[in-house]
Amino acid sequence: MMDKKMLNSNLPMINTGSEHGHSKFAGLHLLVRAVKKFSPIGKAALVIAAIIVMMGIFAEHLSLFSNNLPSGYALEAPGKSHWLGTDDLGIDLWAQICYGARVSLMVGWGTALLAGIGGSLIGVVSGYAGGITDKVIMRLTDLIIVLPELPMMIVLGAFFGPSLKNVILVLALFSWTEPARIVRSKILSIKQEHYVRAAKSYGAGVWHLIRVHFLPSLLPLVLVSMIRLMGRAIVAEAGLAFLGLGDPLSKSWGLILNHAINFKGIYFTEFWKWWVVSPITAITLMVVSIAFISRELEKLVNSKM
Amino acid sequence: MWKGYFKKLAAVMLIAAVTLTVAGCGKPSESASAGTDPTSSGSAKVEVLNLAGGDNGYPSPFTHSSRGPGFSKMWLVFDSLLERGEKGPIPWLAEKWEISSDGKEYIFTLRDNVQWQDGQPLTAEDVKFSFEYFAKYPPVANETLIDGKSFIEKIEVLNPKTVKITVESPLAVALGKIGATRIIPEHIWKEVTEPQKNMTKEALIGSGPYVLKEYDKEQGMYKFEAFKEYWGPQPSAEVIRFLPISASGNSAAANNIVLAFEQGGLDIAEITPDILAKYQDKPDYKVLENPSFFGYRLLLNMEKRSELKDLQIRQALAYAIDEQELVEKVFRGAAVPASAGYLSAEHIWYNPEVKNYEFDLEKSKQLLAGKTLRFKLLLGNSNEEIRIAELMKISLAKAGIELEIKSVDTKTRDAAVKKNDYELVLNSGGGLGNDADVLRTVYTREASAPGSVTGIPGYSNPELERLAKAQLYEMDPQKRKEIALKLQELIAQEIPLLPLINTTGYVVYKPVKYEGWKYMYDHHNVTHSKISFVDVK
Repeated sequence: MMDKKMLNSNLPMINTGSEHGHSKFAGLHLLVRAVKKFSPIGKAALVIAAIIVMMGIFAEHLSLFSNNLPSGYALEAPGKSHWLGTDDLGIDLWAQICYGARVSLMVGWGTALLAGIGGSLIGVVSGYAGGITDKVIMRLTDLIIVLPELPMMIVLGAFFGPSLKNVILVLALFSWTEPARIVRSKILSIKQEHYVRAAKSYGAGVWHLIRVHFLPSLLPLVLVSMIRLMGRAIVAEAGLAFLGLGDPLSKSWGLILNHAINFKGIYFTEFWKWWVVSPITAITLMVVSIAFISRELEKLVNSKM
Repeated sequence: MWKGYFKKLAAVMLIAAVTLTVAGCGKPSESASAGTDPTSSGSAKVEVLNLAGGDNGYPSPFTHSSRGPGFSKMWLVFDSLLERGEKGPIPWLAEKWEISSDGKEYIFTLRDNVQWQDGQPLTAEDVKFSFEYFAKYPPVANETLIDGKSFIEKIEVLNPKTVKITVESPLAVALGKIGATRIIPEHIWKEVTEPQKNMTKEALIGSGPYVLKEYDKEQGMYKFEAFKEYWGPQPSAEVIRFLPISASGNSAAANNIVLAFEQGGLDIAEITPDILAKYQDKPDYKVLENPSFFGYRLLLNMEKRSELKDLQIRQALAYAIDEQELVEKVFRGAAVPASAGYLSAEHIWYNPEVKNYEFDLEKSKQLLAGKTLRFKLLLGNSNEEIRIAELMKISLAKAGIELEIKSVDTKTRDAAVKKNDYELVLNSGGGLGNDADVLRTVYTREASAPGSVTGIPGYSNPELERLAKAQLYEMDPQKRKEIALKLQELIAQEIPLLPLINTTGYVVYKPVKYEGWKYMYDHHNVTHSKISFVDVK
């Protein structure tokens, strides 16, 4: 899909929107083509990310045990029934990791969507309107960029109370600036393109311009930046939970880690081998694969420009 | 995994830094520790004792924190007439005392040549002044109050070494309470009208075995030095340091403490049962198991939730909590289920016959009779508390009681307990080995002294109050013991608060370096005992 839009944006002619009819079918085809252009590492990252997404979606069916009720002895080593062992309360770790994937994805997507859509809208307004509006908005983004993120998140998290919704809101509040700035600069350059000026001279309205000319060329950029945001949001949530500031009931990967690290003398026992390693592996795999995917996409987008 | 290694690495570096500084400071006084007192019990004097720290306030009787570590630091600087020994109270500033036959007059004879740390002599006038000053300006622990008012009628100085204290009525606990009151210097405090704000150097002039030399509130670091002219049993260490490695169970502190102990940065460490094997029966180490005088309990606020006034609901709660599971999972076996009668099983007057609420969901459901309840549970943020709460939530839900868990930091939790601003609160504390009068202060309402955590909001039981009063005024120890046993029985039946588990836990130290660690007869932690730091026989 993005591939097609990118091509569109680079055609020095007026888009009519007539090919939108068959774009749904062609979109899939183009997506496959885009994936084919991925490097082997990128493909591997895509597979890992897909597996983690599946883990999150089918958490109930993937684990034999509950993720919040004790189902075995405390601190059982990985074995036949408890694949990743159990934690100090005797709760299955594999189940917790699966549900944790759901929490992480929810936080990642929630933040990325909120910040991506909100940020791009602000960017469009800023870039298109220009003048005083642009100045005000840009100074606001500067302000948010210079605010130290982690301490502010800790304070806001403590202030609003630790729930998943609040974590997403607070993370979005600190991440909309990146898409906003990218979108604004893109709008500034498209605004000067001949086809846009031509459309304007024919009497095209703002909404028509956004829908037909701006969005297609913005989407790939916003998507890449959203995927990057997603990775950051997942790490940030894990960090907050690790510090004990996340939602205590959300059972995210960070919270598993928080409990494991707070277990007295964990490194002098062998429990860390499953209790600490599994959530860290999950977080690392997820974040690294997202980083690779976003890098591959970036390459594609840049080469087309 | 890497995060783990980094933490380890960071901890090792921290400890290395600490050890280097300690070693640097310790050197000059090396030769001073050579001579040993012939009357000593044989434990040699050490240069520096390093203990885990944390901020527990400025150690004057008015400004220290109201938990064990705060008290113990203040005790190093300030003496009292009696101190708590291994078997019971021992004579300290008072050499001997007499109690009149009607139990109303106490005559204490002070020791000779007792000096304040600024060189002034300590006299009976100071003793009189201390009691009178505390009556006007209550310290953190106001020992001389019963039911919110002082039980002391008058104090007379008979001569510079003798003081007579008259109490209003014969009290079983009077000697203990008078004996535990700290003695402060009149020449320093007589002008002070806001002792809670007095953070001057003079505020820390006591008659105790150690002098505070450094205090860093932010880092939670203290440095005490032996008081050279101390009258009594000699200080066992030249320097005691409380290092900025948090002693609280929070975060990775426990790991750091064990690491620091292994590196020699700390001289005593609390350890968990999982790493016990590393130290037990090894010649270089000695492991002590703490008596179970510290416990976790669930406090019920019957003012906020009047349904808790219903005995059946309280019992249903008690039946639906699996204490044995808490012991095994949260404490890894280093705890025992608490007696419903409050006092620890190791208390001299423990009653083993009291009603026992063994985990029984069916019984709990029967008592609830189909009712479903929902409570907000407040707790601190230590890992133990969070895990206890999670397990309680699971097992109570099976009985039909929903818990909404809210975790805050310990100080916020303690403040909420003081203000009765909670529905259910998970609280922890020591004192389970104290005099049986603790039952009165915990379970009866009017005993609440300002600033202390006593009484059960919204609960009163005339029989319980009668017994609690009766033991207070019973001077015959045997009869008093019987009342205390009966009181525990009634408390267990009524279950106005839910004692959950009492921790035991272990500490490990290296006898080569220092082996003077001692338990006070009623306390669970050797690093809190004054007698651990002085050379008493």
